Amino acid sequence: MNIDLQPGTCHPQHHLSRRSLLKGVVTTASGMAVANWGALFNSQTIAAEAKRTGKRCIMLYMEGGVSQIDTFDMKPGRPSAGPYRPIKTNVGGIEVCEYLPQMAPHADKLAIIRSMKTQSVDHGIGGYHMMTCYPASEKFPHAEIGAMIAKYCENPESDLPSFIKMGIAGCNAGSGYLGPKYEPFQLGTDGQLPSFANPGVSQEVQDRRGELLKFIEAQHAKQRPARPFASHREAELRTIRLMRARQAFDVGAEWEKAKDRYGDTRFGRGCFTAVKLVEAGVPFIEIGQAGYDSHNDNFTVHKGCLSILDPAWSSLLKDLEDRGLLEDTLVVWTSEFGRTPLINSQAGRDHYGRAWTVVLAGGGIRGGQHYGASDPDGVEVADNPVNEGDYFATIYKTLGIDHRAEHYLGSRPIWATPEGSKPIKELLG
Amino acid sequence: MNNFADAKVIHTLPWNSDAITTVALIGNDRVAAGNKRGDILVWNLSVPDGKTPDPVRRLAGHTNEINRILVTPDGKTLISVSSDHTVRYWDAQGDQGEPGTVVLNDGIPRGGVIGLKIKLPEIPPPIEVKVVVQKPIRELSGHEDWVASLTQTPDGKTLVTGDDKGIVIVWDLPAGKELRRWQTKYWARALGVSPDGKTVAASEYVVLRHPEKEKESYRGFRLWDVETGEPKVDLSKDIKETMGAVAYSADGKWLAVGVGGGMGPEQKGTVTLLDPETGEKVRELTPHHELGATDLAFHPDGKHLFSAGRDQHVKIWQLEDGKHVRNLGEPKKRGDWISSISISPDGRLLAAADGAGQVLVYSLT
Repeated sequence: MNIDLQPGTCHPQHHLSRRSLLKGVVTTASGMAVANWGALFNSQTIAAEAKRTGKRCIMLYMEGGVSQIDTFDMKPGRPSAGPYRPIKTNVGGIEVCEYLPQMAPHADKLAIIRSMKTQSVDHGIGGYHMMTCYPASEKFPHAEIGAMIAKYCENPESDLPSFIKMGIAGCNAGSGYLGPKYEPFQLGTDGQLPSFANPGVSQEVQDRRGELLKFIEAQHAKQRPARPFASHREAELRTIRLMRARQAFDVGAEWEKAKDRYGDTRFGRGCFTAVKLVEAGVPFIEIGQAGYDSHNDNFTVHKGCLSILDPAWSSLLKDLEDRGLLEDTLVVWTSEFGRTPLINSQAGRDHYGRAWTVVLAGGGIRGGQHYGASDPDGVEVADNPVNEGDYFATIYKTLGIDHRAEHYLGSRPIWATPEGSKPIKELLG
Repeated sequence: MNNFADAKVIHTLPWNSDAITTVALIGNDRVAAGNKRGDILVWNLSVPDGKTPDPVRRLAGHTNEINRILVTPDGKTLISVSSDHTVRYWDAQGDQGEPGTVVLNDGIPRGGVIGLKIKLPEIPPPIEVKVVVQKPIRELSGHEDWVASLTQTPDGKTLVTGDDKGIVIVWDLPAGKELRRWQTKYWARALGVSPDGKTVAASEYVVLRHPEKEKESYRGFRLWDVETGEPKVDLSKDIKETMGAVAYSADGKWLAVGVGGGMGPEQKGTVTLLDPETGEKVRELTPHHELGATDLAFHPDGKHLFSAGRDQHVKIWQLEDGKHVRNLGEPKKRGDWISSISISPDGRLLAAADGAGQVLVYSLT
């Protein structure tokens, strides 16, 4: 291979199969065509389908398994209720937990799916399934949702990473079969850049170094077409571009004014940073909030966690709306699974996948509605079950991505969502 | 020195409607308990040998879980605090009220469940008991969040309550009049008041197992001057764990604290005796409770401290030298907690709130 490949061309070394003849490359902002590792295995047809929608996604990931009954699917008066009480929102018929008071005025933006019925109910496998749409048991390098959205929604002119994670991650599958171009860029838990991204030399020196590096590597690459080089080169380019764009992550001064609204917490700062990154064009940002795994003391655990979540999430929605970004930014509130309707002997709730809740907002989602329902005790889905595939399909559809987009790992096809997955029409604007 | 060698359970009072959270002996022959459903039941323990007492009264009015109850030293008033944000007074002596019925077994067994295969168990045929339903005689409404902590002075003149907004209120107990309030940084979760009513020891915390802010422990422990409403000793930097239980001895010589509060499954329920003036550690009591301590009670003999824990143990400690006298109950690594204990004024009975759905009454003699 040489790095002068143009879109639509291929190289014999990568002919893993006849199918993979149809692979492409991307061109970086620096004007240099580099191997898109993922594109080695993506069909030209799909590449042509990759429409730059301008849509964005912020995923709020509640690590440990958030309790649906203690947030958006409350069961007052039932044995499964617990001590939290529902409060009214700005939408008749929608009530939320009393410890989400700042979210209550945003209910008109929320599509609350109360009928999630999912299969993987332990932490590793649950996070994997809810982040890749496929079970971990398949032993396949699936791509995380962030990588998929980065692929189809990124702005190739942007110097910023297209898939950013802050705080605890839902899973570590990364870009999988989509290749290193879409690997997540991990910020600190508070949304700040890692130390390597803060060079000790001036911009002028950095630019000179970058030019020199580009020249040397171009010469070097002519003789070395191997895939690992492309991956390495991709990482370097991303770093150089990140150096240029790092001011986008510097929210320190603005944070001083915003922290009272978001809550002076890592998660709060992460949400604020996410607004700034969306504004700068980053297509996917995941922000994790740790600590929902409440096998004991579920109610104090959730009370503590919700006190962090409520101001951060509500301020995120408000700022997106005020800046005119909400219409094109899908905000997803999710977890690896829900928690049992039964309260155990440790005042806890355990893992549960048979009937739980996720929430979507913005990005064109029709807010102010419940979708699906659980039964009176929250034990089973009573109406409109939603599985992992439907959930992903809905997100992809909202963002303008074909939820059945086909990709390849070698000769093996893999789809963005499994066969039979369907977007929830009622939620789509 | 009493070694409580003959202590044994004399009554097991079944009540599984919801987890029993708190218990208080009324005088030397009755016991009250509250649960997470918001009910309080009262049993008369004076029954013929071999007969299990049935509840005789239901104290109805709270609309959320009962977190703590206590009985005033004169035995006339029962006071409860609840997650419904209220403090309520009840006539602990009278038997006036409406006739009613309680079902003692209408709760769902609280087993741990992980995985997909779950089905709510069938509710068994009801065990119904006729009771007198009493209403509260007073309601104090100065709190705006769960009221989780409650204590009083031995003379029955001062009541102290604390809530999850961090508000601590000192009340004139007989009058139900607020005397002073102050704000703690976190949830005011465990309180003790010195016998002279001048100092309140307050444990405060927020259950956040993954800190969301640098250099933030989310816990504190301070001794507050009731007259000024200001802290006079701040031990927040000295404590390494959240304190789930706090109590002063009636003679004012001891301040006991127990690690607890649910910060994590590996929390050790260490009980420590502190100097009541300075808060300095005098003696750490070993062996600790597994999973956390839940309650503390000084025995009327002035020589022993009882502690309850999430390990289903009630531990008896000798104050003089910190010796562990014995345990009551069978330990469990993961199961229901003993969430509250109470000792009768004559020191002959101990009641324990067992989350398994029963109140245990021990004879200590």
